Amino acid sequence: MTPGLKEIIESLVFISLEPLTLEKIKEALADFPAAEVEEALRELLQSYSASGRGIQIIQTGGGYIFSTRPESDSWVKRLLKIDRKSKLSGAALETLSIIAYHQPITSSEIQALRGVDSSYTLKTLLEKRMIRIVGRKNSPGRPLIYRTTDRFLAHFGLNSLEDLPTEEEIAKILGEEKTSEPKP
Amino acid sequence: MATNKQTGTVLLEDRPQYQVRLEVFEGPLDLLLFLIRKKKIDVYNIPIAVITHEYLDCLRRKDRINLDREAEFLLMAALLIYIKSQMLLPREEPLPDEEDPRRFLVDQLLEYQKIKAACAILKEKEDEQSLFWTREGLPPLAEADEVDLAEVSLFDLAETFFSLMKRKEGENFRLVKGKSVSIENKMKEIIHLLEEESVLDFLDYFSRQETLEEAIVSFFSLLELIKARLVLAIQEQLFQSIKVWLRKDALARKGK
Repeated sequence: MTPGLKEIIESLVFISLEPLTLEKIKEALADFPAAEVEEALRELLQSYSASGRGIQIIQTGGGYIFSTRPESDSWVKRLLKIDRKSKLSGAALETLSIIAYHQPITSSEIQALRGVDSSYTLKTLLEKRMIRIVGRKNSPGRPLIYRTTDRFLAHFGLNSLEDLPTEEEIAKILGEEKTSEPKP
Repeated sequence: MATNKQTGTVLLEDRPQYQVRLEVFEGPLDLLLFLIRKKKIDVYNIPIAVITHEYLDCLRRKDRINLDREAEFLLMAALLIYIKSQMLLPREEPLPDEEDPRRFLVDQLLEYQKIKAACAILKEKEDEQSLFWTREGLPPLAEADEVDLAEVSLFDLAETFFSLMKRKEGENFRLVKGKSVSIENKMKEIIHLLEEESVLDFLDYFSRQETLEEAIVSFFSLLELIKARLVLAIQEQLFQSIKVWLRKDALARKGK
């Protein structure tokens, strides 16, 4: 093991404000064998999960990023003078999950699935960089096509679209709902 | 609908916007799913008459309905009535399953139900993730290749100059022999110093000047150099030292 590689990766993750992908780490450390970089990264993650520190490296949004420990939440919020981290509205969440499962998708296809017009919600999601426009569909009117972003993944602590709730998880929720008494 | 307009407005006024958003049905599918569950109806065999009646009842009461979306709720009511009329049409033989007029609605409801369930799971994940704070909220890194500090204004320079002058005045100068210092020479001297050491602490440099005249000239030289965009002067705080750098583009110009 090349000495210092772990510390170099630590520095790289530290200066990154967005999750740093393994590809980017390897790119910056092109002068080291890839296997050694991966090994050093593993060691780094291990040392952080073991140490009694207020910060940790989490894997989210397809990369690695420094984050606070969940136990510090209330004090972080007090320092930042924030009541709660901004969360998505019901409409935004609904639209976002439709895009996540059905991407690439157009506005009218989203509307058909939701039963309501979603153009305003799409605009907010674009502003929040949760979704992006990837092109236009070759159909009448050449509508815009949307996809989710890595930022979307990071917001939910997901690493890839494969981490989205699976058919089984969804079926389980639906099963529970059928057995439970709906509120009048 | 017109008769209920009054109650509708009252409801809106009574409930603040955010509160309404939390409990209302976002869209017609949302409401339909709720009614199906409430009546314990089999999604694959919806009694359209029952559900239409319930649905219209909710619309009439404008209960827990996002009023911005009223048109879309009405569209669904029309669809329900259309489906019912299709089912009432007398037919020689019963329709095969795939031609059931309810088919389209059932497919839509099933898919929507799945999305709703996925939303519930995602919501939980969002809550979990909200406890992890990252530094994304902090200002992004400066893109300029120069040091990320504010450049000083002429005013700041003058302020510092006066405070320095006061210090200089305190010193007891003994003028032995008049020594003439030109701004041009001082400028050259400063550039020369900067080429040797990349940063020059101007306060230091200023106090090193032998005479008051020389000190004043050195200050004017700095102003000239800034004006000619040969150097970059940065003062982090008022009355603190001014740090002087040679501009990178100035170096390039000199090389040519």
